[in-house]
Amino acid sequence: MKYDNPTIRDRLAAEYVLGTMPWRARRRFEAQLKTSPALRVAVSEWEALLTPMASNLPALTPPRRVWQGIQKRIHGGATATAATSWWYSLGFWRSATGFALAALLALGVVMTIPGDPPTAEETMMVVVMDDMQTNLPAMTVSWEPGQSDSKVLRLRVIGHAEMAPDTAWELWMLPGKDRAPVSLGLITTHELQTLPVPAQLVPTIDDAWGLGMTVEPAGGSPSGSPTNQMLYMGQCVKT
Amino acid sequence: MTGPTNEQLANLLSRCALADQKAFAALYEASSAKLFAVAVRITRRRDWAEEVLQESFVKIWHHAGNYDTDKSAPMTWMTAIVRNRALDWLRRPREVQTSDDVEALLASVADEGPGPEELAALAAQAGQLRECMKQLGPDQQRSITLAFFHGLSHGELAEKMGRPLGTVKTWVRRGLDRLKQCIEGMQAK
Repeated sequence: MKYDNPTIRDRLAAEYVLGTMPWRARRRFEAQLKTSPALRVAVSEWEALLTPMASNLPALTPPRRVWQGIQKRIHGGATATAATSWWYSLGFWRSATGFALAALLALGVVMTIPGDPPTAEETMMVVVMDDMQTNLPAMTVSWEPGQSDSKVLRLRVIGHAEMAPDTAWELWMLPGKDRAPVSLGLITTHELQTLPVPAQLVPTIDDAWGLGMTVEPAGGSPSGSPTNQMLYMGQCVKT
Repeated sequence: MTGPTNEQLANLLSRCALADQKAFAALYEASSAKLFAVAVRITRRRDWAEEVLQESFVKIWHHAGNYDTDKSAPMTWMTAIVRNRALDWLRRPREVQTSDDVEALLASVADEGPGPEELAALAAQAGQLRECMKQLGPDQQRSITLAFFHGLSHGELAEKMGRPLGTVKTWVRRGLDRLKQCIEGMQAK
């Protein structure tokens, strides 16, 4: 059996991981993979060796329908974004008159829907914020970077956090070393939410080191500076 | 820093294994753009790449419990899933695959080996892999890069590079051997 020979095993694993095998050879190889721990080890080694080549490819944000498709396949139809699905329904847009749309725009209704992955196929800023007490991811924040008159942060609270009575959650931009946090505003414990970036911070938020969240008295920090240590914190990453 | 940390991603994966859907959504947000880029490269078609990404994340969700932090970094594990789905998609037998399809596919791959973005990606590699890639002969380097980023089979590589199949197979095999020796040598130091 050719898979018993370590040299051949290693060579086949390399070609499998690199991707040069034709369909049938891949199928045969994968059948062997199920029964041969040695082959699995060889594949893991080649994956560890070659896969980092892909790690610095420029990121490309997939369209929103991909996430919706994933949800559908996992939950068999009911999507996690059902609450906002009316927004996307063709019927809604067909029945929405131009006037109604203009009115929405005139009222400055934010045209960003929480809960769905980014729509634009371009780079995104992403912050995964850890709970500083547990060191576990507790919230993600993302937005579209670039020159723009306005920016909207998309927030996703991961944990089952509860806000103590008479307190508020305040989100902070952390500009960088030795520079004071700047308030981005108050947020809620809702899983999905959006937060418009204050106009004066729009030009600089892409360059921030990170974001943080503190628990403040109801209404937010009275002084404009955090009155508590950061409860959630994470570094900004351009993907 | 090139992305969310391994610890963060590994933690999200372990929560996915416990069917935590919020963690899954966070994982998607943190990793999908990188993974989509890989799928687009290999399949060369957005619609196929979208399908591949969907299948991959469904697989990640169902198999998150198999992820082992000791064996690989989270992005390596997920990237391998996406590359495998993309390669299967590309290689799957289709009812009709005309020679036009193959020609269009080959024409869509940049003529002169790795494109600027791939070169930049390679140049940005941390240490070992980059150094070792540089030590390969130009044909070895080119055939490995074309296969890795664009999912070309031996036959397609031969056609693309205008050389006999046997020659191309040898380039790939020797290139991979040298790459491995080089990296093992560096790790042994």
